[in-house]
Amino acid sequence: MEIKGSVVLVTGGGNGIGEAVAKYFAKQGASIAIVDMEQKNINRVVADLKAMGAEAIGVRANVTSEAETARFVQATLAAFGKLNITVACAGIIRDGTMLTLDKETGKVSRKMGLDKWAPVIDVNLTGTFLTLRDAAEAMVNGGWPGLLVTISSVNKCGQVGQLNYSATKVADALMPKIIIGEFMLRGIRNIRCVGIAPGYTATPLLTGMNQDALQAILKDVHLGRLVEPEEIARTIGHCAENEAINATTIEVTGGLCYAGGIAK
Amino acid sequence: MSTFKYNDTEFAVTAAGQGWDITRTLPDGSAALVGTGLFAGMGPAEAQIRALALVKAIYPVGIKVVGPDVAHPNMIGDLRIVGPDVTHPNFIYWDKDSASCPAQL
Ligand SMILES: NC(=O)c1ccc[n+]([C@@H]2O[C@H](COP(=O)([O-])OP(=O)(O)OC[C@H]3O[C@@H](n4cnc5c(N)ncnc54)[C@H](O)[C@@H]3O)[C@@H](O)[C@H]2O)c1
Repeated sequence: MEIKGSVVLVTGGGNGIGEAVAKYFAKQGASIAIVDMEQKNINRVVADLKAMGAEAIGVRANVTSEAETARFVQATLAAFGKLNITVACAGIIRDGTMLTLDKETGKVSRKMGLDKWAPVIDVNLTGTFLTLRDAAEAMVNGGWPGLLVTISSVNKCGQVGQLNYSATKVADALMPKIIIGEFMLRGIRNIRCVGIAPGYTATPLLTGMNQDALQAILKDVHLGRLVEPEEIARTIGHCAENEAINATTIEVTGGLCYAGGIAK
Repeated sequence: MSTFKYNDTEFAVTAAGQGWDITRTLPDGSAALVGTGLFAGMGPAEAQIRALALVKAIYPVGIKVVGPDVAHPNMIGDLRIVGPDVTHPNFIYWDKDSASCPAQL
């Protein structure tokens, strides 16, 4: 698929990886629809895209709501008349272990509540599903060449303290295979689906963390540094251009090798 | 440049290069970009019609009814209260009515 002249929708486009994806595709000549919950960030990114001479809109929406995913796809069509690439970047974390024990008694003192479990499932899993479903509907009905992108994480292999997050990211990694299998079943040929599993990436979330903790993380990364959001964006750009990449999830981690092969 | 009012918000459609920028006036009087470089090659009248359609898609007006939310019961002791979950992101409430009926557009 040629990026120049295509229309790209990015959820979570107001910050971090989503922002980098939006700017990368804008630089390549695509029109951009930014979706995010944070209006201030949307305003900032749309202004940046204007300064780059790009065509863009910003839509404040929550990816966990069916009404809202339908609305931002509709807004994209109202602005640009088609949709080619959808990147479901909106994601959150709410870390904690399932059980916490009281040090003195050894009995359970706290359980992970639905207040931590449900929002992560809602945004990272249901939000990705709704975004891709409604984007695919538009692509099928419009007959445009399409690419659906899920954002998984290297933590799909299972990260201690992230039962909720890892559960969503393993599902996001699996989606491309199932979606393309279903497209084959239904005779849908114009849309591909790819997952990207970033490693530790230099978004505000990570760059702002305790520097000692960051150095400990980097000990497991062969490259010896965080992945840059632009490197994730470039990989998605490559997936758009290379039709042979389909129904799979690609890791972009800088060579993350957990000691002993498992996440800590 | 042309302007229109929708749902009590002032929008402006301004020529920008080959296309059009849409801005909206924020409550503090400053302007925020809704979209940029849109509807390339269209004349002012057509651009204004398209801008209004786009603005209506981005900022819908309406009331959302949230029914019993069995997936997120509110627990009070062992009591499961299945009702609208006011902490769920899908729950939207209006604490202020529109100051006027929107003009017929
Ligand atoms: N940063 C990393 O190291 C890393 C690693 C692996 C995977 N990821 C994944 O990449 C994606 C982007 O991460 P990031 O680091 O850029 O995060 P970020 O917090 O910088 O950006 C996420 C954006 O999503 C938006 N968002 C959150 N909930 C939303 C909702 N319900 N509806 C619409 N928008 C919503 C936020 O407002 C924010 O702008 C996430 O899915 C994350 O899980 C990140």
